[in-house]
Amino acid sequence: MEKLKDAFDFRDFSRAEQIGLIIFSIFLFLFPWLGAGSFVKAVMIQFLLFSLFGMGWNTIGGYGGQVELGKAQYVGIGAYTVALTMVWWNIPFWVSMPIGILLAVGYSFMIGYPLFRLKGHYFAIATICTSLVLQDIFANWKLVGAAKGIELPIHDHPDFLYMQFKSDTYYYYFIMVLFYVALFYMNWFRRSKLGYQLRMIKDDEDAAESLGIDIRWCKIKAYTIASAFVAVGGGFMAVYNLYIDPASVMDLDLSIKIALMAMLGGAGSLWGPIIGAAFLVPLDRFLGSWLGGHKGLVGLDFMIYAMLIMVVSAYQPRGIWGIIEQFRRKGS
Amino acid sequence: MTLIDALLQGILMGLLFALVALGLNIIWGVMDIVNFAHGEFLMIGMYTTYWTSLLLDIDPLLTLPVAALVGVLLGIASYYGLIRYLLRGPAIAQLFGTFGLMLFLRYLAQFLFGIDYRIIQKGILIGKSLSIGPFIFDWTKLAAGLLSLFAFAFVYYFLNKTKTGKALKATSINKEAASYMGIKTDKMNAIAWAIGGGTVGIAGGLLANFYYVYPTVGLLFVMIAFACVALGGFGSIKGVFFAGLLVGILEMVFPVFGSLVNSDFLGPHFKFTIVYLTYFIIVVFRPQGLFGWKN
Repeated sequence: MEKLKDAFDFRDFSRAEQIGLIIFSIFLFLFPWLGAGSFVKAVMIQFLLFSLFGMGWNTIGGYGGQVELGKAQYVGIGAYTVALTMVWWNIPFWVSMPIGILLAVGYSFMIGYPLFRLKGHYFAIATICTSLVLQDIFANWKLVGAAKGIELPIHDHPDFLYMQFKSDTYYYYFIMVLFYVALFYMNWFRRSKLGYQLRMIKDDEDAAESLGIDIRWCKIKAYTIASAFVAVGGGFMAVYNLYIDPASVMDLDLSIKIALMAMLGGAGSLWGPIIGAAFLVPLDRFLGSWLGGHKGLVGLDFMIYAMLIMVVSAYQPRGIWGIIEQFRRKGS
Repeated sequence: MTLIDALLQGILMGLLFALVALGLNIIWGVMDIVNFAHGEFLMIGMYTTYWTSLLLDIDPLLTLPVAALVGVLLGIASYYGLIRYLLRGPAIAQLFGTFGLMLFLRYLAQFLFGIDYRIIQKGILIGKSLSIGPFIFDWTKLAAGLLSLFAFAFVYYFLNKTKTGKALKATSINKEAASYMGIKTDKMNAIAWAIGGGTVGIAGGLLANFYYVYPTVGLLFVMIAFACVALGGFGSIKGVFFAGLLVGILEMVFPVFGSLVNSDFLGPHFKFTIVYLTYFIIVVFRPQGLFGWKN
């Protein structure tokens, strides 16, 4: 009970942040009734999905300070579990989703145990390696559709058990619920014992160890939590897109985007991943659709994207939230 | 392809891999920064050779100095334009910074040249092969291997015998102590990036003789280079040489075994998966690499 109370307790934030959260929540809730087109709706769903991914990454990458660049493999595990069990045995989403989470958690333990012997660059590159290996395996494994991917069976009627709806609005509310579960969880997490331990590890590993914190075990726990978050998002992607292949759910670009959004917004803060996603998803989508129409401008959107990454890394590594806090401190 | 054939081909590729990894290792050693854009430097070296040989109508081998020069300039420009600012921030910002550089160069190439796969058609070595006894070598690969070896030896000599090279080594062993001796860290960093860019530029020029040129070619080679650096050991020049050879051999010999047992999972698709796995296993069980001295 105490934990649950903590999750809904936003009192330690400033008044401006609390009001911001309320206005943002009202906007999210009313959004489908504001008469936005299907493209804008799709962008909003993407935004909520990437916020979910980013909040997951934030546990290990933000609070724990470990540069994790392999989250796409867990998106893949979540998505493939939902898709394959549905195609093979006709298992409903609500059963396969927990299985997907369990598989992701089990796999992340397996990988995490050797992985967290490593630090810094070695760790970052090793996470990329494991993700690429899994992608290679799925792209060549005929049983799971190889590089062609899998299509999910489409039902004639909307079906809640299989999460198949005609309108995007239902998907929107579903991902919104997931988003809030993640937000409340993270609000609890940042003040949990593990949350404080992780920040201690980020600041000074030796000091943390001398206080009796089991560093490796803490990191593995955070990594596992992050993987579970991401696997939920992967499962959602499978039922939402109705089609998955290794290039769309396991690619390195996806891992990068997840980590990047959290970092751009501000790693290690509750709002960071949400701000990052709110900034990058629309930029990505609108630039992509606008430039896609102009032949000969292919790649320009990613160049703008890349320049942004370089500027932020060079001038404010704490991201957009870091810039806001900087201004606030000057103001007061 | 027989096993011995694969072994010889692997050695030639391995010499090239060693040259690619050399620059990455020097930068890693001197500055403790991982250059994700290293593969993109290689890609730019490849495009430089492709375009100069096509537009000036000269042999691709003669364009190597141009590729090296472009690489050196790119390295220096990256250092003064971006890396110097990243040094103030935390490690995560440094990683993302070079990652941004990688994306930028990749999509710049895509923007300028399109996503087409290009290959050099004309050249004195292209399409010719040398047969020694039962073995057949492509001249392009033979030249790439031997010239890589030559370039590697040159850099090795530079690092061990010249004053600047020794200063560079001193910086990589202990930055502070070196700066007390009057070695300017900033200048050494720039030199490391210049050498890194130059060597990988040459490697790109050599690779372009027999490999397709396309904007995303870099990722594969940067991963191979990471594996070589990890295998050889952080900061060890000798180590990266033997690691390059080992990875080259592994990548060529593995598919031969795969074709013997005829399995889905041992085919040529997986020759690079093996490289990634090797990296993972090596860093987990022997983080200092085979020849490393720094943990």
